[in-house]
This record gives sequence, structure tokens and C-alpha cells, in this order.
Amino acid sequence: MSYFAQALVNGIALGGMYTILVLGFSIIWGVMGVINLAHGEFVMVGAYLAWMASDFWDVDPFISAPVVFVVMLLFGYLVQRVLVNRIIDRSSLVSLLVMFGVSIILQSVMKIAFSADFRLANTDLDGAWRLSDQLTIPVTRFWILVVAVGVTAGLGLFLGHSRLGKSIRAAAQNREAARIVGVDVKKVYAVTFALCIGLTGVAGALISPLLAVQPFQGPPLTLKAFAITAMAGLGSVRGALGGAMVLGMVEAMLALYVDRIGTNLAVVASFVLLVAALVLRPQGIFKGLRHVDATST
Amino acid sequence: MRRSVRAFVLVSVLATAAAACGESPAEDAAPAEGDAAPVDLSAFDGAVRIGAALSETGKFAVEGRDSRQGYDTWVRWVNEEYGGIRIGEGRYGAEIVYYDDESDADTAANLIQRLIDEDQVDFLLGPYSSGLTTGTSAIAEANNVIMVEGNGTSDTMFERGFQNLFLVATVASDYTKSAVEALAARGVRTAVIAHEDTTFPTSVAEGARRHLEANGIEVLAIEKYPKDIQDVSAIMTKFRNLGPDVFLGGGHYNDAVLFVNAADELGFEPDAMLITVGPSNPRLVEQLDDDVEGVLGPTQWEATMAYEGHWFGSAADYAAYYQRLWGEPPVYQAASATASALALHLAIEAAGSTDTDAVRQALRALRADTFYGPIAFDERGVNTAKPMGTIQVQDGEILVVAPDAAAVAALVYPRG
Amino acid sequence: MSRAAPGTGAVAGRWPAGRAVGVGALIVLVVLAVLPLLGGTSNATLLTLTLMLTSIGVAINWNLTGGFTGYVDFGHAVWFGIGAYATAILISLQSNGPQVGWPPVPAILVGALVAGFLAAIIGRATMRLKGPYFSIAMLGTFVAVREIVRVWSPLTGGGVGLTLPPYLNRALFYYVELALVTVLVVGTWWLRRTRFGAALVAIREDEVGAETRGIDTTRLKTAVFSFAGLSTGLFGALWAYQNTFVDPDIAFVEVRTIDAVMGTMLGGLGTVAGPVLGAAALYWVRELLWTHLLDAHLLAQGVLLIVIVLFVPRGLVGLVDRRGTSLFELWGWKGWSRGLRQGPVAGGEAEAAS
Repeated sequence: MSYFAQALVNGIALGGMYTILVLGFSIIWGVMGVINLAHGEFVMVGAYLAWMASDFWDVDPFISAPVVFVVMLLFGYLVQRVLVNRIIDRSSLVSLLVMFGVSIILQSVMKIAFSADFRLANTDLDGAWRLSDQLTIPVTRFWILVVAVGVTAGLGLFLGHSRLGKSIRAAAQNREAARIVGVDVKKVYAVTFALCIGLTGVAGALISPLLAVQPFQGPPLTLKAFAITAMAGLGSVRGALGGAMVLGMVEAMLALYVDRIGTNLAVVASFVLLVAALVLRPQGIFKGLRHVDATST
Repeated sequence: MRRSVRAFVLVSVLATAAAACGESPAEDAAPAEGDAAPVDLSAFDGAVRIGAALSETGKFAVEGRDSRQGYDTWVRWVNEEYGGIRIGEGRYGAEIVYYDDESDADTAANLIQRLIDEDQVDFLLGPYSSGLTTGTSAIAEANNVIMVEGNGTSDTMFERGFQNLFLVATVASDYTKSAVEALAARGVRTAVIAHEDTTFPTSVAEGARRHLEANGIEVLAIEKYPKDIQDVSAIMTKFRNLGPDVFLGGGHYNDAVLFVNAADELGFEPDAMLITVGPSNPRLVEQLDDDVEGVLGPTQWEATMAYEGHWFGSAADYAAYYQRLWGEPPVYQAASATASALALHLAIEAAGSTDTDAVRQALRALRADTFYGPIAFDERGVNTAKPMGTIQVQDGEILVVAPDAAAVAALVYPRG
Repeated sequence: MSRAAPGTGAVAGRWPAGRAVGVGALIVLVVLAVLPLLGGTSNATLLTLTLMLTSIGVAINWNLTGGFTGYVDFGHAVWFGIGAYATAILISLQSNGPQVGWPPVPAILVGALVAGFLAAIIGRATMRLKGPYFSIAMLGTFVAVREIVRVWSPLTGGGVGLTLPPYLNRALFYYVELALVTVLVVGTWWLRRTRFGAALVAIREDEVGAETRGIDTTRLKTAVFSFAGLSTGLFGALWAYQNTFVDPDIAFVEVRTIDAVMGTMLGGLGTVAGPVLGAAALYWVRELLWTHLLDAHLLAQGVLLIVIVLFVPRGLVGLVDRRGTSLFELWGWKGWSRGLRQGPVAGGEAEAAS
């Protein structure tokens, strides 16, 4: 029984980590139709910032996260103005390739700046709460989950009730119509992108004590974000949470209940699920910001 | 208008490309940064030309740089201190032609072929990693060029019956031998193994299972995980429930971080943790401080080991010489690289020529004590004379605890 | 880069000066064919050329679906890996002791067939998806297959991989791949002039329209996708044999897809000569330039990619030949970009807004 309870805890903890990792990716895709192939690299840059704060000034990643958010917000705004604005009206192959170019550039710049050495930030929120010998709750992941749920709720409120949030939703659903009713679509996109990159940076900061920080850590994270978003529905805030939890749980259960190759199978499962979800239910499990009809022309 | 802008952009990109190529033709042979002093070989009776493809970029960039510094340490020493390789009556200078394999298998294959055909090197030194060595050693074999290496240790490549591949380091399956023997002597009864599902960690884990069973230790579970793993909680949860005496695991540096953290988070406290990649790296100790206390790790070589030879002197002397050249202490990848070049050097001297067959004979017959430990190759081309060392993190210091001959501290068990 | 020129022959049919270009291409082909016979051509040169031919071949195959039908395959390298693995498995088959592996020629051919067969099955499912959804489904397929290969260790050797007997006749592989690439170039050139080829482009332009005109789009696009899979599988099979070693991480490499996409974009998407010129140019730029840049070569690659995509969308062919079929800018994702451009007429976006 406690074995199962631990599996649940592991799954929820993993789901929390995936949630914070996927939100920014999902919303950019849902609102702007841009698939941010450099997502993992923005996570990585955020993680480097948190590591620097931790290493140079001894600031805990949970404390530096708001600063990372602001820095990444500005960085995101810059990237949006210089590049993303240019590709938003073009075919999605263009945006895929340009964002891929951005991902290589970020990897390369960080490699030149920091070398390929692994780094790790330090947090005081580590260790475990022991409920029993067979049941523990990991502290860092617990707080990541708290942040993830908080951010999800906050974003839901923001998109649902604020003026700007409503503009974002309008632009996501129908850009022309939004423009006609007086929404400044360009501004909405700039805000969306900057906000999401800020969030993505925070995700990087929070995982910096858990996963070694290095220039090439991004691509597996981007793939995970893909898998969850495609399953969960584009730009759906609740979907991101739901999809992340489902995937976290599936991975945790498979890894725990299959001997020897369970962890391998969990990785297989996430991508088989991705393809199956796309083929069988391309609109995603949750209703997203953007209506998706992936099969008919 | 737009077309001409595009044409201009494209032309200027290509022109820049062409210009960049034109400016640096001389770097063709050694495209890496010029940190190795240019070698003046005019004072010698001739030169021995050796080739190596190493990763300056890509995922093995760090280890590739260490390996290169290791090779260059030998070049500097043999030309400046030793006075050249003795062949018959003459003294021959040594030069190494380097290329960057970008940590990529196709590139490495291409470069090794180029070293053989176009640079006409007499011998090859190995690249970094088992994957790259497996591919390139087949080319060396097919072209009958000897490759001596110290940083590709998977067993599979020595099961192909190659005549021209020699490894000075301990083979992967023996990585945990001295640690397992030391632990068995302390009364360990049960163990669990987790390993990344790639060539080298699998060889290490399979070897570990054999050594554990040979020492009467029961292996309760073996778990595999893919590379780029982000969470090992499930593996550690399973292991916690089994309650083994020893946890044995590894693959990448990052895995060490994951294991140590997950064990901490889940309250999994085996009496010994042996992690195959990471603990011998001072950076891990620095970053995880208390959490890695008492963790064991295999090491090919440490400067504190009590090895000594006619060449470079003792392990400590070598470390001091290396430090003088590069401003940092040698990691074992660097020492392995130097030792590979040294083994080749000794075989050339013994053969009295650079003829492939003669040098191969000499390598087979080589019996030498060096700063790196004893070197003697078996019929597979593996150095079986040197045991693998085991280190333990004690009070934040990395200390050799096994085998007894090389140990500077006693093994702390249980880890406390 | 004269070596790249076989492809220019392909433009011949559409170019008024076609005959001259065709003759030029033929000359280059002859030069490439007799090069090894002249002596002085080292194995290293042959290997370099063979690797270049491999990346040209994969780019041509990618262009068949990505360029002609408009289905952008982000996991194309999966067929390369499957071809490589199927061949390696057949060659290294063991049965209680003695090796009963297949001889190379049937192993390579069957390896390619396995890739083609799996492409037919997977393409059938994923080609129902449009635009980025197809791209992502293929990217997912790529990773899923790589991880399945890793898990299925009794057959594939797991993460350790399989080693093959070293048989390194560089000249032989060079000629085989030169012949393959020549056949592919002539084949695509011919294809473009057939109704089949026209139907493929029709799928790219307007799939629904094509269907109403009586084109069986599902069958056509699956057929071309399977052929591309088979052909890339063949290059993978040949590569495995030359590399003498496969493991999941070197057989399934994202970079192969990326190079095919970049090469095709550089040369000209949806053209016959584009992937040949582009892949060759990319190969040589990398060979000559990027080895000198070390750490910065990744940076250069990223910048080059963005520059090509934003400023030279028609590629090299588009610079020379205005009539090139690269309709890159016209070609958007139906239901996405059209909905965005033309308002709510086309897609289901208007209804969705409710």
C-alpha cells in the first residue's frame, strides 16, 4: 500500500515539475501558433541564471526565481521583437526552423560562455519529509508543485478575467476578428511571448538544483513539452496541468511496476502516447485556447 | 529588389565562408586552438607521425580537451625532456596531428580515414568515448594501423578479434572489481544495480554483476534507464523497498546528481553507494557536498597512487609536470591519454622501428611499470596488469581506498 | 562546388538552356565516376564523398514528402536508423553458437524494405495529420522508435548496439551511392513531369481540391512517403555496413533530419536540383568552414539557418531560376495560415471562436 502511495507521490511530484516546464510552451503555441523549438534552451538559460545567483551570491533558486522571471521576460520581449514578429505570418515550417536556429544559437553561446561543464544550484528547500519508512515527500519537488499550481491558477485568472487576458484569448481564437474589435494583436503577441519566456525561465530556475545545468540540456525538455502539449490541448492552462499530471503518473507507475526496463518503458510510453494522442485525438484531451482541427484541410 | 537583397545576403554568407577558409589553410592539420607549443623537430633524426581525432566540440568537449592535454603532455615531454624516441641509433621527434571529431561518429570515421590516407600517420591514438573508439578502431584495423587508446573501455570492442587495438586503461567490466572485493571483505551480502542503457555503463554493470556474484554477494535487482533521464525516483523507490547493503549505479555525471538527490529525498540509505561516473570528479563533491560523503567511485588513476616508472617518475611527479604545463591537475582521462602515448613510445623503442608488425609484436610483449601503473596487454589488446582503483569521498576529500596497493585511506563502511 | 552538379541536370527539362545544363551535369557525373580510377584518390576522399552522397540522398528523399507534397517530416532520420538496424540485425544474427548472419547484399536490401514497410504503416496513420501536427507526430515517432530499439534488447542489442564484421571497400560503397543518387535525381526529374508528380504538388497546393478532382490523395501521399522511407532506409543500411557498428544513439540522430531540411531549404524546397545543390553546399561549408570555427560552428549553423529561412526562402535554385517550383511563400498550413490570412472563410476557425 505504501508502495503505491509512494508511486502516487512520485507521479504527482513529477507532474508538478512537468507542469511548470510546459506552461510557457503551451501558451505560446496556443496563442501565437508558434512552436517554440527553443523552449528547452530558454529553460536552460533560466537555469544558468539561477545557478549564477546560487553560486556567486549564494541566493536560493526559489528566491531568485522572480528576478529570473523579470530578466527572461525582457529577453523574451527582445527575441519577440527581433525575430518572432517576422515569422508569425509565415508558414509554420518557417517558425519551426527559425526557432530551431535560436535553440542552436543559445546552446552555442552558453557553451562558449560557461563551457560544457555541469553546474548545480543549491537550495535550502531540499531533502525529504518522512511520513514513514516507506513513504517520503521530496521537499524541493513539493515546492515546485506549489509554484506550478499557483502559477496555473494565477494564469487561469489572468486569462479569464483581466482585460489583457481576454485580448490574448481573443487573438488566439480568431486574430482577424480580434483586430476588428480593436485588439492590438501585435502587442498581445509581444506580451504573451515575453510572459511565457519569463515563466519558462522560472521553470529553469526551479529545476536547477535537481537537474545538472549544462548547455545541451534543452532538447529532451522541449520534447517533453511537445508530448504534454499535444496530449493536453494547445494553450490550455488546465490542460497543461492535467497532461503533465497524467504523464507524470504514467511514467511513475510504469517505472515502478515494471522490473528492469520500467524507466526505459516510461520514456517509450511518453512518445508513443504523443503519437497516439495526435493520431487518435488531435484536438487534445482538454479544450485549449485555439481550436484545432488537425486532420481536415 | 527583394531578390537582389537575398542574393546579396547569400553571396556574402558564402564569401565569408570562403574567406574564412582561405585565411586559415595552415590550420588544416591542427584546427584546435594553438595551446600546444609548436614542435621543432629539426633537431631530431626524424619524426614519428601520430594521428588522433578528439572531440573539441560537442558532448565530449570537456573529456576531449583533457585527452588532448594528456597526449600533448607526452609530446612535450618526449621532445623536450626525454630527447626523442630512440629508434636504433637515432633519436626521433614526436608529432601528433589532431582533428576535431565534433563528438560525432561519422566525422570521427572520416577523420581517421583522412589521418591514415592523407596525413599518412604511422600510428593512431584513440578518440574519447567507447562509441567513437568502436567505429574508428574498425577503420584502423582494416587499414592495418595500430591504435593505442585509454578512453574507450567497453568490452564489446575487444571481442571483435582486432589485432591493432590496444587499451592501456582497465576495461569497463572490471571498473568495479577492486571496490566489490573490498566491500565483500567488509561483509556485504546484497546489492542492487542501476545503469544507463548505453554501451559503456552496460559493460560496467554486467561486469559488476559478475564480480558481485563471484564474491558471494546477491544481486537483488538490476534496473536500466535511458540516457537524458530526468527522474530516477522510481528506481530508488524500488531499491529502498529491497533494502540492499550496496547501491551500484551510473552512466553520466548528471545521473550521479540524480541518484544522490533521489536517495536523499526517498530516505534510501544503503551502507555503501558506488557510482561509476562522477565521484572521482572534484566538481561533484563541491556541488553536492554533504550528500556525497562516503560515496565510492572507480578511478583509472589518481595522482596519489603509489605507481612509479622510469618515464615521468611517479604518479605525483607526472601530476606536477602536467600541472606545470596546463595550470590544472590531471584528471584520469588525461593520465590515460598520456599512458597510451607512452605505451606506444615504449613499443616503438623495443621494436627499433615504426613498422606496424614489429611494433605490434613489441606491444604484445610489453611489460612496463609506469606512473600510470603496470602495463601488459593480453591477447585481446587489453591491459590487464593495472587494477582499477576505488575512491571514497571522506570529509569532502577524494581518497583512494582500494586496491590495497594503491590505497591511502581505509574504506569507511557503512558510510555513516 | 562542381561535385554537386548532377542535380542541375534535373533542371534541364524546364530550362530553355536545358541541354547545356544536362550536358554539364553528365560531365560532372562522368568525372565523379572515373575519379577513383585515376589514382591518387585516397580512401579518405572516397569516404568524404560517400558521406556527402548519403546526405544528398537523404535530402532528396526528404524533399519528396517535405517539398513536393508539403508534409514536413521532422523525424525522417527514423527510416535511416531503421534501415541501419534491420541490416545490422540480419548480418549479426546468431543461432546457438555459429553466426548465421545474412550475406550483405540481401541484408541491405531487406533492411531497406523493412524501413519502407514500416513507413507505409506509420505514414498511413500520421499523414492524416496536417501541418505542424504531422511534423510533431513524426518527431515523436523518431524518438519512440529509438527508445523501442533501446528496450528491445534481445533483438537489437539494447543500448550496447551491434557490431558488424569490418568490410570497408570505400570505392564500392562510393559507386553504389553515386549510382543511387543519380537514379534518385533522374527519378525525381522524371516524376515531376508525370501526372503522379503533378498530383503530389496538387496535394501541397490544395489537398481538398485535389481530392474533389478525383485524386486519391491518401494513396499517393502514403506511396511517396513509403518510397522516401525505403530509399532513406537503403542509405541507412549502407551506412551501417560501412560504420561496422550501430547503437541507438548513433543510428538515430536528429542531425540527419535537420541536415536534410536545411540542405533542401538552402537549395530550394520542392525543386529537383535544390536538395542536391543544398545538401552538397551544406556539406562542404561544414567541412571547410565549420571545422575552423570550433565552438562557434554551432553558432554559425544557427545564424545560417535563420538567414536562409528569412532571406533566401527560395534557396539557391530560386536565385537563379525564377520559374523554380519553390512555392515556399505561397505554401502555408491550410486551416492555419489561410484562416489567418483570409479571415474565417477557409478553416473552422470562425466556428471555433464561439
